[in-house]
Amino acid sequence: MLIYKLGKGSREKVQQFMTITGASEKVALQALKASDWHLEGAFDFFYSQPQISAANTRRLEEMYNKYKEPDADMIMVEGVSQLCNDLHVDPQDIVMLVISWHMKAATMCEFTRQEFIGGLQSIGVDSIEKLREKLPSLRAELKDDHKFREIYNFTFNWAREKGQKSLSLETAIGMWQLLFAERQWPLLDHWCEFLQVRHNKTISRDTWTQLLEFVKSIDPQLSNYDEEGAWPYLIDEFVEYLIENGFVQRK
Amino acid sequence: MATKQASTAGSGDADAAGQQQQRRKVIELEEGWKEMVVGCKKLERILAAEEGVGFSSVEYMHLYTTIYNMCTEKAPNNYSEQLYDRYPEVLEDYISKTVLPSIKEKHGEFLIRELDQRWKDHKIMVRWLSRFFHYLERVFIPRRRLPSLKETGWNCFRDLVFNAHKTTVTTIVTGMVDEEREGQIIDRTLLKNVLDIYVELGNDMKLYQEDFVVAFLKGTADYYSKKSQAWILEDTCPEYMMKAEEYLQKEKERVKHYLHSSTEEKLMEVAQRELLAKHTDQILKKLLFDDKVEDLSRMFRLFSRIDGLAPVSKVFKEHVNEQGMSLVQQAIDAAISKKSEKKDVVSMLELDFVRKILELHDKNYAYVTGCFQNHKEFHKALREAFEVVCSKDVAGCTSAELFASYCDSILRKGGIVKLSDEAIEENLDTVVKLITYIRDKDLFFEFHRLVKKLGRRLLFEKVGNEEHERSMLSKLKQNFGEQFTSKMEGMLTDITETKGEQCKYEAYIEAHLGSNPWVDLSVTVLRTGHWPTYRTCEINLPYEMAALLLLFNDSERLSYSEIVTQLKLTDDDTVRVLHSLSCAKYKILNKEPSNRTISPNDVFEFNSKFTDRMCRIKVQLPPSDEKKKVIDDVNTDRKFAIDASLVRIMKSRKISTHHNLVAECVEQLSRMFRPDVKMIKRRIEDLITREYLERDKDAVNSYRYLA
Repeated sequence: MLIYKLGKGSREKVQQFMTITGASEKVALQALKASDWHLEGAFDFFYSQPQISAANTRRLEEMYNKYKEPDADMIMVEGVSQLCNDLHVDPQDIVMLVISWHMKAATMCEFTRQEFIGGLQSIGVDSIEKLREKLPSLRAELKDDHKFREIYNFTFNWAREKGQKSLSLETAIGMWQLLFAERQWPLLDHWCEFLQVRHNKTISRDTWTQLLEFVKSIDPQLSNYDEEGAWPYLIDEFVEYLIENGFVQRK
Repeated sequence: MATKQASTAGSGDADAAGQQQQRRKVIELEEGWKEMVVGCKKLERILAAEEGVGFSSVEYMHLYTTIYNMCTEKAPNNYSEQLYDRYPEVLEDYISKTVLPSIKEKHGEFLIRELDQRWKDHKIMVRWLSRFFHYLERVFIPRRRLPSLKETGWNCFRDLVFNAHKTTVTTIVTGMVDEEREGQIIDRTLLKNVLDIYVELGNDMKLYQEDFVVAFLKGTADYYSKKSQAWILEDTCPEYMMKAEEYLQKEKERVKHYLHSSTEEKLMEVAQRELLAKHTDQILKKLLFDDKVEDLSRMFRLFSRIDGLAPVSKVFKEHVNEQGMSLVQQAIDAAISKKSEKKDVVSMLELDFVRKILELHDKNYAYVTGCFQNHKEFHKALREAFEVVCSKDVAGCTSAELFASYCDSILRKGGIVKLSDEAIEENLDTVVKLITYIRDKDLFFEFHRLVKKLGRRLLFEKVGNEEHERSMLSKLKQNFGEQFTSKMEGMLTDITETKGEQCKYEAYIEAHLGSNPWVDLSVTVLRTGHWPTYRTCEINLPYEMAALLLLFNDSERLSYSEIVTQLKLTDDDTVRVLHSLSCAKYKILNKEPSNRTISPNDVFEFNSKFTDRMCRIKVQLPPSDEKKKVIDDVNTDRKFAIDASLVRIMKSRKISTHHNLVAECVEQLSRMFRPDVKMIKRRIEDLITREYLERDKDAVNSYRYLA
C-alpha cells in the first residue's frame, strides 16, 4: 500500500508514528493497519511486539561485526568465545545452546549474519548488556516441556559434523550429559557407559529422538517398558544391558 | 270328515308299526349281562387252550346283538354307560383270578415267559370283547370322548399286571443280556417280545425309555466298566483293541435282534465310553508302534468313533519325535567320537544319518496315509515332530546343509551313495518333503546351489544323470516356487548349451584342422547371476600336474594307487608329477609319510594351508569358510527380503502400528525362513534413516510411509 494512495489524514498519522517511534514506513503502516488507523492502538501494537527499530537494527549489525571473522561473513570459534566472555558465561554453558536454538544455527560454533541478527531479534535484545540480563529467562526456557523437546531435537542437527547424517558418539554423550543435567535422568550414566562399551558407533537421528521419549515415559525401574514396542534396537539392547548387570530387576 | 277318518285309519297303521317295534323286548341290564358272562367264560376257555372250543357265528351274532339292543333302547333302558363300565371289569376279574397268580409263582426267565404268554392272551381277549361290545364305539364312546375299548382293555393289563412287575422284568431282561454278553445263548425272540410289551403299552415310548432303557444303560456301563478294567491289566494293546471292537460290534447286532432301534445310539455311546474313552491314556501307553498295521488301523477306527483322535495323534507325534531325536543323538555321539579320524568317515556318518531320517519319515508317512487314513491330525503330528527333529544340528551342520550334502552324494557321479534310478527319485521325493519341515529353507537352497553341490557337480562333470537333476529342480519348484530354483535351472541350461556348442566346435576343428589340434580346448559358459562366485585357482603348471591336482576336487586324500588309476599315466610319469607337487619347493600336496621319495604306499592330501608370497597362487579357502560364506550370503539376502517386505507393506497400508507391521512381515516371509524379530526392528530403523518411513507423530508405536 503506497503512501500516496492514502488519504491526507492517514498520511499524517503515518508521519507522526514514524517520528515518535523511529520505525520505518513499512512498520508504521503495518501497525496502523493492525489498529484500524487509531494512533494509540498502533503504539500499543508496536511496543508489544519485539520489534526493533531501525536504530536497533543498526546496533545489531555493529554487534555482529564485532564478533565476526575478519575475512569471512561468519562468526566462528574465536568470535563465539569472545561473545561468551562478554556475556560472562562458560562456552559449555547450556544457555549457549538455547541461544543457538533461537538463532536456528545450522552448526555448532558458527553463526551466519542472518542467524545471529535474527536470533537476537527473536530473543528481543539488541545489546550485550540486554542479552546478559536475559540469560536467566533463557535458561528457564529449558524447564518448559515443549521448548525442551524442541531444543533437544534441534541439538542433533546442530551438533553434527557438516555433511554427516548421524552424530558422533563422543559429541552425543557430551550433549546428553549437558541436557540431562537439567532434567535429571537417573539412568544417564548407565546409558553413556553402555554406549561406550557395547555400541561404539554413531547415533542415528531416530535413536536420538526416541531416547527423549524413553526418558520421559519410562520409569527408571523399567516397569512400563514394552520390549515388543517400537523402541529402536539400541534402546532394547540398553534395557537388556541394565537387566544383565542387575541395575534393574527383571519383570 | 273324510280326512279325519283317514287319519284315524293311518294312526291305526302307525300303531301297528309301533307295536311291531315295541315288540322287540327290552333287555334288562342284568339279563343282558348274564348272556355276556356266558360268552366271557367261553372266551376264557379258549384262552386256556381247551380243545374244540370256539365261537360259532350264531354265538358271536347273539352277543353282538345283545349289546346292540341294550345300547339302542331309549332311556331308561339304554345301558351304554353301564356296559362301558362293566367291560373292563371283566378283564380285571380275569386278571386277578387267573393271570396274576400264574405269574406270581414264577421266577426268572419263566416269569417273563409267562408274562409274554399272558400278554398275548390278553390281547386276544380284548380283541374278542371289543368285537362284542363294538356298538359302544359307534355312538357312546365318541359322543363322550372316552378311551376306546382297545385302549381301556390294554390299560387294564398295564395297570394291574405290568406295572406291578416291570422292575422285576427289567432286571431279568438285563440279566439275560449280560449272560449273552458272556457268551451264553439266550432266547432272543422272547426278549424281543417282552420288550415289545414296553413299547406297546407305553405312550410314545415313555414306558420303554423310563422303565427299561435307563436301567439297561446303567447295567451296560457297569458291565463294560468291569470288563475293561480286567482287560487293561491282562491284555496287550492289540488284544484289547480287538476285544473292544468285537464286543462293540455285538452290541450293535443286539439292537437288531431285540432292542428297539432308538436305543442304538445311546447304547454305543455308553459302551464306547467305558471301553475306550475312559481308558485312552492307559491304552495309548501300551501302544507300540512296531505293532502291525491292522492294529494301528483298528485303533484309528475305534478312536475316531468316540472323537478321541487327539490323544492318539499326540502319542504318535511323541513316538516319531522320540525316534527322530534318538537318531540325532546317535549321530552327534558318533561324530564326536570320530572327530579325530578322517573327514570322509565323518561325512559318511552324516549321510547315514540323513538316510535313516528319510527311512523314518517314509515309514511313518506310510502309517499316516494307511492306518490313519490320511487324517489331517496325523499329518499335522508328523509334521510337527519332524520340524523339531530337523531343527537340531548334527556335528556342527544344520539339517539344511546335511540334506544338501545328501542330495549331492546321490546325484553326483561316483558319489558315496549308489542307488538305482527309481530309488534316487524316491529319495529326492522324501528329501523335498523334509525340506518343508526346515524353518530356514533358504539355507538349503543356497547350499544346494553352492560350490560343493550343484555348481561343482556341473562344472566338474560329476552329474550322474541330468534327468535327475532336472527332476529334483522341478520338484523343488513345485513345492517352493520359482524364486530359488530359477538360478539353478539357469546353471543347468548353461551347461547343456555349452555342451552343444562344444560339440559343434569339436566338429568344426575336426573338419578344418584334422584330428590333431595343437590345443585341447574345452569351454564352459557361465552366465553371471546364476553361478556363485568362485575363488579361482591361478597356477602355472604343466598339463599333467594340473590334471593331478584336479583329482583333489573330489577327495581331500588320495592314495598313490588311486591317483595312478584315475590319471592313467605311467608309473614313471606319476612319480615325477607327485614329486614335483609334494616334495619340491612348493608343497601343494602333503605326503604321508613325509619323506622325499614317492612310493606306492604313500597317501597324498591337498595342502590347504599352502601360501607363498612369490608365486601368483591363490589357494582355495578351507571348506569351513565356505559354510560361513553361505550363511553370510543368506543373511544378506534376508536383509533385502525383509526390507522389500516392509516397504511393500507400508506402501499399501500407509500407516501401521509396530506390532502389525512386524507380524505381517513375519507372515509374508515365513514361506522361506523365519525372520528374526530383532533383525526386522533394525531394518525398520534403517528404513527410517533412509527416509522410506517415519514415526507417526500422532500415534505412539506407529509408522507412516514416506512417498
